[in-house]
Order: sequence, then structure tokens, then C-alpha cells
Amino acid sequence: MTRAATEGLSGEGVGLRRVERFPIRRVLLVLVSVITALFVVIGSWKTLTLPAGRGYSAGAWRDFLVLGVAQGAVFALIALGYSLVYGILRMINFAHGEVFMMGAYASYFFAAAYGRSGFLDRSPALALLILFAVAIVVSSSVAVLLERVAYRPLRRAPRLVPLITAIGASLFLQHAALGLFGAQTQGYPRPDALKGSWSILGVPVGRVSALVVLVSAAMVLILSYFVRSTKLGKSMRAAAEDQEIASLMGINVDRVIMLTFAVGGVLAGVAGVLFALRFQFVHYSMGFAPGIAAFTAAVLGGIGSIAGAALGGLALGVLQSIGPALFLSGFNVPSPFQLKDVVTFSVLVLVLIFRPGGILGREEVQKL
Amino acid sequence: MSGARLREGARAGLIGGAVFVFLGMVGMIANFAGLSLVGSQVTLGLVLMLLPALIAAATAARPRVEAGEVRRLPTPAAAATGIAAGAVTGAVVAAALLVVEVVTVERIRSVFVSVSPTLVGIVAFHRTWAVAAAIHVAGGAVLGAAGGAYRSLAPDVRRPVAVGLGTVLVLGLLQRLVPTILFELGLRSDWLYSRTTLGLTWPGAGLAFAAGAGGWVIWRRRRRWQPGGPLERLAEGERATRIALGAVVLVGLLALPLLAGSVISEILGLVAVFLLLGLGLNVVVGYAGLLDLGYVAFFAVGAYFTALLTGADIVAVLGTAEPAFSLHLSFYAALPIVILLAAGIGILIGAPVLRLRGDYLAIVTLGFGEIARIVFASEWLQPVAGGAQGLRAVTPAPILGIGFRQPQRFYYLALAACLLAIFVSRRLADSRIGRAWTAMREDEQVAEAMGISTVKYKLLAFAIGGAVGSLGGALFAVKLSTVQPDSFTILVSIVALAIVILGGMGSIPGVVVGALVLMGLPGLLAQFEEFRLLIYGAVLIAVMILRPQGLIPNVRRMRELKEEERLQDAWLRAGEQAGEEPEVAVAGEEARP
Amino acid sequence: MALLECRDVTKAFGGLAALQGLDLDVQVGEIVSVIGPNGAGKTTLFNVITGIYEPDDGRIRFDGQGLAGLKPNQITKLGIARTFQTVHLFANMTVLENAMVGQHCRTRAGLVSSVLRLPSQRAEEERVRERARQALAFFGPRLTGYREDQPASVLSYANRRRLEIARALATEPKLLLLDEPTAGMNPVETQELTRLIGRMRDELGLTILVIEHDMRVVKGVSDRVVALDYGRKIAEGTYEQVAHDERVIEAYLGRRAVESA
Repeated sequence: MTRAATEGLSGEGVGLRRVERFPIRRVLLVLVSVITALFVVIGSWKTLTLPAGRGYSAGAWRDFLVLGVAQGAVFALIALGYSLVYGILRMINFAHGEVFMMGAYASYFFAAAYGRSGFLDRSPALALLILFAVAIVVSSSVAVLLERVAYRPLRRAPRLVPLITAIGASLFLQHAALGLFGAQTQGYPRPDALKGSWSILGVPVGRVSALVVLVSAAMVLILSYFVRSTKLGKSMRAAAEDQEIASLMGINVDRVIMLTFAVGGVLAGVAGVLFALRFQFVHYSMGFAPGIAAFTAAVLGGIGSIAGAALGGLALGVLQSIGPALFLSGFNVPSPFQLKDVVTFSVLVLVLIFRPGGILGREEVQKL
Repeated sequence: MSGARLREGARAGLIGGAVFVFLGMVGMIANFAGLSLVGSQVTLGLVLMLLPALIAAATAARPRVEAGEVRRLPTPAAAATGIAAGAVTGAVVAAALLVVEVVTVERIRSVFVSVSPTLVGIVAFHRTWAVAAAIHVAGGAVLGAAGGAYRSLAPDVRRPVAVGLGTVLVLGLLQRLVPTILFELGLRSDWLYSRTTLGLTWPGAGLAFAAGAGGWVIWRRRRRWQPGGPLERLAEGERATRIALGAVVLVGLLALPLLAGSVISEILGLVAVFLLLGLGLNVVVGYAGLLDLGYVAFFAVGAYFTALLTGADIVAVLGTAEPAFSLHLSFYAALPIVILLAAGIGILIGAPVLRLRGDYLAIVTLGFGEIARIVFASEWLQPVAGGAQGLRAVTPAPILGIGFRQPQRFYYLALAACLLAIFVSRRLADSRIGRAWTAMREDEQVAEAMGISTVKYKLLAFAIGGAVGSLGGALFAVKLSTVQPDSFTILVSIVALAIVILGGMGSIPGVVVGALVLMGLPGLLAQFEEFRLLIYGAVLIAVMILRPQGLIPNVRRMRELKEEERLQDAWLRAGEQAGEEPEVAVAGEEARP
Repeated sequence: MALLECRDVTKAFGGLAALQGLDLDVQVGEIVSVIGPNGAGKTTLFNVITGIYEPDDGRIRFDGQGLAGLKPNQITKLGIARTFQTVHLFANMTVLENAMVGQHCRTRAGLVSSVLRLPSQRAEEERVRERARQALAFFGPRLTGYREDQPASVLSYANRRRLEIARALATEPKLLLLDEPTAGMNPVETQELTRLIGRMRDELGLTILVIEHDMRVVKGVSDRVVALDYGRKIAEGTYEQVAHDERVIEAYLGRRAVESA
């Protein structure tokens, strides 16, 4: 080869223009954070200093808080399902909200029958146990089936492929429920024992809210015991750390993954009954919004971590129930609660921008 | 014949039976029983009832890799496996019928709303349980034998049969389109389609099968005779045929609304709007590899801003009122503003989130899409965007006094927009920008190390995708003359995604086919409407698992598929040219950390 | 003047210090080898120079400009190109396209000119193609002819390494960073590449910084050798000097081996 042929390749190197050296991204981030902070502070200030007739009373804030905690407890349970699966497969199980819906819907048929027969009011504890059991069985079966049919064939595919499948699965399950159970919203009965409220430390707490928080807390405790101390839980943790090494250590990774989906399904089933008891309805599309909110909660707390999911769920629940009123009323925004999901998504976006690892999580380091 | 094969067949049969029962329980079988494909006997419902056994058998009898070789089963063994699969499928259905018999339809119906006496009548062939069960098991066995045997045939025999049957199915499904066109052309259609059932006649179906199968055989043969490798085929002669083909397609597209009438033009207009969405999303997902689930935001921005810039009304307490902000530009003056605005919003949305990993990006964009809808629907923006009722009486978009609201004319407007979007996408894909996108999609970090500003090219993809999506929104607003927040749910994003995925990511012909199938078919056949989204979900799953490259793959992905063939070519030629031993090539992607 | 000037460069991952106060100068037209045992911080050094990691401390100047805060693509535009320890090609792009990507930072066709296919854009595409072919031709017939249109994924391992170097050459760099260019090559191929590295300097006027494990290659190409261990420079000089440096031998073989020898 002659020298002339390669001459074009010898580098001249181009200097960078001034503009190109400007750290635009950092400036943008600072700008976003300043605007958000100002918005939150000014909004809260204006809301809290509203004249008595138009603002919220202390009692209203207390009620918001209680409802927020109850809501957050449900989010936490669903969030755990996302978190567990993400921990092992590094995939967002977009259809998890539908797993939750299936459990709630299945339990509805029993609840409705028990409501008609009076069994629900006569022995509420036993009836609720049965409802939980039904929801757990259905949700975890759907979750396991989902894994087997839609995700397992794609174990080694690029990351976006299983996510697209998951979106498809979400759409499919939702509209399968529509085809199977119909389009109408079904009223979910509430046993007499759960009507009204208890006074806890002088604060009136709706009985359903109390039940929701208690059951959720119990489930989180059981789950963390299970993951920390049982053999199956340990193999789950091992698989989450490194699937290949885990399988070399004699762990049947396929089984562990199936188990993870099943556990996520159990939690989603419990969450489904709690959600239905609280809002007193089931509908084929009921899984979508709580699903997204729970995913946000999982990210917020640090995806892959149990404590993170619980914490993120609570934080998001409270934020959703207090946030719109607190930040927006001051700006005279009418019906601020219409914008509750805007709060959810804004939180999600901000967390991902500023702290992608979440409150408790650590950021994944990509190695080249 | 081993027991393992029979067990395999029985397992496939169980799954097939479950699928059959599911199809019945969601209401598909009963619903599609009203759609006649061939004669009065073969309805789409019947096809749905036949398919589970056939597919179960064909799957169970598929060739296996044994000792490093792909082995096709001999026909008798394949048929036997198929019989096991089909009979078990039938048995599962029979068992389900027995459950219905014992529990009664009414009781089941109180939970599963689609289980109706009609459905049970169809599935049981209006006979007693015992007879129906016998028919299902025996029929399943026959179907299974056919399915298994089919799978054991050589591809040269199998393909024409499949293509022939496919032709019959497609023509049967196009039963509203084809006769209308034939009629407008002054041709008779009663030899092909029945007047009473609307489906194909038996002779017509036979002809369609022969045409499909025969056409396939002839086409294959021509291709095989062609000299030279794939590189030579792109020579000058090919170019001429491509131009001629393009001209024919264009004339066909221009003539279509004249031949098809206003109902079908209406559907085509909607297809075109979604085609635009697909094309725009294809730039983002297919070229740049960014999964945007909030694409509907651009659709909404396009629609709302077009309405506001050209003039529209909001619903007030008494009648309608002017929104708090609106201009009265002409549609064509507003369009560039809307497009630029959408591109700007694309950049604004993109800028803070571009560093996120792919799956997080998907969820965040989904969030943006929902935020857009909620904000447009909110009471807070009611004075401008009209709240839940949206905007009405959007100013139409005439050229030289010719309005475009009428379906046939709207079609031309939408067609022009689609052609423009296709032109831009193609030019971009085949340029420095397209290369940068491909490199970024394949390996972001390395692309950056090679001098590509990933931020810039991601933003560019978002901006262009946003611009095309807003164009779709603008047309949508003009077409309906109303803009309502209900039209901008997450489902729009998912439908656009399904269009891109079904056709093949990064493939423009793929997006066109995707839009035609996913939007056109439900439009043409009312029976599909109810199950549209269920089918979309299934399509997304099935395509990702079975054929991730889509129906009409992008050339690059096609290349991957043809790798083996090309390798052999190259191997031979390298040996001839260099006279040295060609290197053994390693296929497959690098292992990534 | 030194083309590349690293002063006191420090980079830690968590508690693990990958580079500790490293100083390194590379003069124009030099070929410098970086050696050291696994985990000595060689690849981290490359990643810091090319902007993939930002150093915790210290500064790097290239051609008289500071590199702090610049993104990898900007650094490539300034004239530093690299290859990777494990080959990272765009597997589904063709051989020619891979090399054409390298030309990206030397071209400017934008949205409008690409869509309208203006004459300037067409001329530029032609030039990109030609430059890419030149870069491929540097390796003789291996990457040219019919191979141009093959996807990179079908190339043999050695050819992938070559293509990666060609892609780096196509960015028209002043400084080329090669990360273990001969890893996985057989002795004949290794020898050939050793010669090519010399030719890149002589014919293309490149300055080259190379990480290498194969001591024959190091001996064959280097004007100067730098040895790293635990992120510090433990020796620097000609091949002979470094190869006989006790601390280098110790770093490679461990203390006990040195004592017993």
C-alpha cells in the first residue's frame, strides 16, 4: 500500500468549540431541582396559609395521612413483586399489576357469594381468610404461568425484548379478564366488622385501613424472614446475585425464578383483596394504576430491596394522598386530586434522574 | 415409535385443549362463528376450533435436534404423535363440556360472562354431550394426524400448502374490501364471494388456494434460477423493476378510495393516522433503540395544539365557548408550528432522562404520556383544553376550497403525510444519522467512544419521532373535528408499539403491514373490534418469542437470518479468489459484560 | 511537547484504588507500552483518558487542552481513538459500516442535508466511504472486497480485532490507544500485528499507547515501556530496563519467587 492511500487517515484533530464544553446536562439538572424545590416549598406555604374557610383543617391532614399510609401499604405489597423479579431477572414485570387484578377479581366471586349468603358478616375472619387464600392461589398461578409462557423463552434475549413481552402480557391479561368476567365494575362487599373506625391513640383510623396496614406489615416481615433465613430464600438471593454462579453451586435457577414469581403473586393476591376491601370494587382495568404506582414505589425505595419496596410504598402512598392538596391547592388548582398520578410520575422521574438507585438501593455499575 | 413422543403429543394436546377452552371462555369462538370464511360451513369460529388441535399436533411433531442434527420425524411417527395431541385436545374440550353439563350454563355464566348457551351449542355441535365428546376426540385425532403428518413433509411441499391456505384466509377476511373493488371496476364478484354468507364460495376458495400455492411455487422457482449471489441481485435490472413496482403501488394507492367507497376510506384514513404513529415510533424504537411508551403524548400535543391554533370550541355551562387561548390560523400555517412544538417537547422530555437505562426510560416515558393525558383532561386546564369533554368543532383543513373531512379526501391528506414520513425515515436511515443511531442501538458506550454524541442522537430521535407523531395527532384532530382526552390513553402508545413490533423494528414496509393488519383488519371486520386489544397483547408476546425480527424484517436483521447462506457463498469465493484457506467464521454476537 | 500528559491521576472504585497518583507523558510519534499484572489499572487508565470514567483527582492534558469534564465522544473528536480489551464491534453492522461509524466525528451532515440529500452530503458520504475503505485496506485484503458487506459478527476473532483497530483509525486520531491488541491471536497473526503497529506510527504519523501482555510484542514495538502495579507506576524506561527491573519481576511473579530465584 502506498503512503498516499493512507494519508487521509492521519489525524488533524479538531478543537472543541466553546459551546461544546458547556456542561449543559448538569445545568439542566440543577435547574430542574431548583424549580421542583421552589414549586414544592411555595405550594406548601401557600396551601398552609390559606384562609380558614378554604384551607384544610388539621383533622383533614390527619385523615390524608392515615389513608396515605394504608394506600402505601398496598403499594408496598405490589412493589415487592416488582422488586423480587427485578432482583433476579433485571426485568420490569409490567404485567404484575394484572397479576394483582386477577387475584382481586377471583376473590370477588367468593366475596359476593358470601355477602349474599351472610357468611361474610357472620364469621368475617374465616371468610376473609378464604378470600385471601383464593386470591393468593389465583395470583400466584397467573404469575407462574406468565413466567413459564411469556418470559422463560426470553431469558437470554436483550433487555428490551422481555419488557415488550411484559407489556403484551399486561394487555393480554387485562383484556382476557374483560372477555372472561365482563366490562362492568363489580361492587366488592365489606363485612360489617370492618365498617366504621377504631380510635388508635386518639386518632380515628378506618378499620379497613388498620387491617390493610397490619396485614401488609405482617407480610413484609414474613417475606424478609423467608428470604433471609430459609433455604429457598437464600437460593433466591444467590440467584439474584449471579445466576450462573448460583447454577454452578447446584441451585436450580429455573425453579428459583418460578418461585420468585409465585412469591410475588402471593403478595399481589393479598394486596388485591386489601385493595378491593378498601375501594369496594373490582374491574378488569384496576391493575394498571396501582401497578405503575407500585413500580414507582419500588424504584423510589431502591429496586431489588425488600425494605426499600416497603419504604418506597409508604412514601409514595403518603405523597399521593397529601401531595396534590399540599402542593397544588395553594396555586388555586381546582380538583387537585385529579392530578394525583401526575405527582406519582413526577416523583418517579425525579428519583430516576437524581438517584437512580433509589433511597436504599445502590446504582449498578456498568463495566466496559 | 417411542412412548416419549406420545407423551410429548399428549402434553401438547393438554395445552391445545386449554387454549381451546380459553378461546371459548373469552367469547372468541361464539363471536367469530358469525363470520363466514368459505361457504356456510367454514366460519372463523370453526377455524378457531380446529386450530388448537392442528397446532398442538404440528408442534409436538416438529423436527428435533438430536445428537447435533436436526431430525425430521418420519410421517407415520409424526402422524401418531399428532393423533395423541389432537385426541387429547378433543378430550380436554369434552371434559370442559361435561363440566358445563353438570354445573349448568347459567351458573357458570354468573362468573364467566361469555359462556352462553350459544357458545355451548356451537362447541357441542348442538348435540348431546356424549355425541359431542365423541366428535371432539375423533375429530381431534383426525386433525392431529393431519397436523403431525404435515409437519413431517419436506418444506417444498409444506410451504405452498401454507401459502395457499393463507391466501384463502386473507381473501376470506377481506370480504368487505375485495367485492367492493371488483364491483367498482365493473367486474362480477359472485364467483368468488357468496352473496348470502358474504364469505368465499367453495369454488372461489379453491381458486384462491390454487393461486396462492401456484404463485408461491413459480416465484420460488424464478428466484432459484437467478444467477449470482445476493449482491448481484441488486443490479440495474432490479432497480427498474422496483421503480415500476413503486409506480404501480402508488397508482393503486391513489385509486383505492375511488374503488373502495367511503366506509372503507374511513378505515383507511384511520390506518394512515396510526401508520404515521408507527413510523414516528419506528424512528425512536426501531432506529435509535429507545423504548418510548409515552408516545401518545406527541399524538395528544399534535391534536390539541392543532385544534387550539386553528380554532375550536370548549363545552361551557351554556352551549360552547371559545377557549381561553386560541388562534385562527389555517391548518397549513398551524402545522409547522405544531410540528416544531412537538419536536421541542420531544427534546424537553428527552433531555433529563436520556442517561437512564432502556427499561427505566420506557417507564419514565410512560409516565410522561400519562401526565400529558391527565393534564389535558384536568379541570385545571379546562378553560383551555376543555377538561374531560375536550375540544369541539375543530376548524377543517381545506386546500383551494376542497375540504378534507370527507373520508375519501381525508385519505389523500393522510396518504401524503405518510409518504412524507416514509421519505424522511428512509433518507435518515440511510445516512450518517442513521449509522449513528444503529451504532448507538447496538452498543451505546462504544458508539460514544467512537465519537458519536449519544445525547444528541437520542434527542434527535425523540424530536423526529415527536414531530411525526404530532403530525398524526394534527390529522386526527382534523378528521374527527373533536379532540377528547379519552383518545389519548396509554393504549395508543401500546398500539403504535405493536404496529412497529409486528412489522419488524426498523423496517418501514413492516410498519406499513403492521398498521394495515392491526388497524385495518379490526376496522373491516366488526367482529374483531371486541378482541382487538386481547389480540394485540397476544401479538406482542408471540412476535417477541417466535419472530423478534417481525413479519418483514429490516435488512440488517434479515442479514442475520441469512447469515448461514451468505457464509457459504463467501467461503467458496474466498477460496477461489485468494487461493488460501478461508477463515472459519464465528457467527453470533459477542458476549457482553 | 508531550502529546498526552497525565498528572497525579487517581481513580477509586468504592474503596479500591485503581489508579493512585499516576504520572504519564507520551511524546508525539512515540509508541509506549503499558504493562502490569491483571488489575494493575491499565484498562482503567484507558477509560480515564477516553472519558469513560472521570478521574477523582489529577489532570489529563491532550495536545495542550484539558480533558476534564469532556465526554468520550468529544475526546474522540479531539483525536484520541481506542480499542477495547474484549472486542466491541457493532455486530450487526457490516464491516464497512463499522469503519464508517469511525468517520462520524470527522463529518457534519445534519438533518436537512441528509433528508434532502444535498450535494454536500453526497460528497461527504462518498468521502466517508473512501476513508473507511482506506482504514480497512490498512490490513491488506482481509477486510476488503466481499468482506466489506459482511456483518461484523461473522468475522473471525483476529479479523474482529483488526476491524476494531480499523474503526479506530477511521476516526483519524492523533493518539491511538490499543488495549491488548494481540489477545487471542496466534503467533503468526501476532507478529503481523506487531509490524502493523510500527507502520501505523511510521506511515500514519500516529502516537500509540498500547496495553500488552505478550512480552515479544512489547519488545517489538515499544520506544518506551511503563509498568503499573496497584495503580502506581513502578518502572519506566526502555524494554530492557523495565524487563530487568526487580520491582516489575516481583509484581509479575510475587515476592517469594524473586527471593527463591
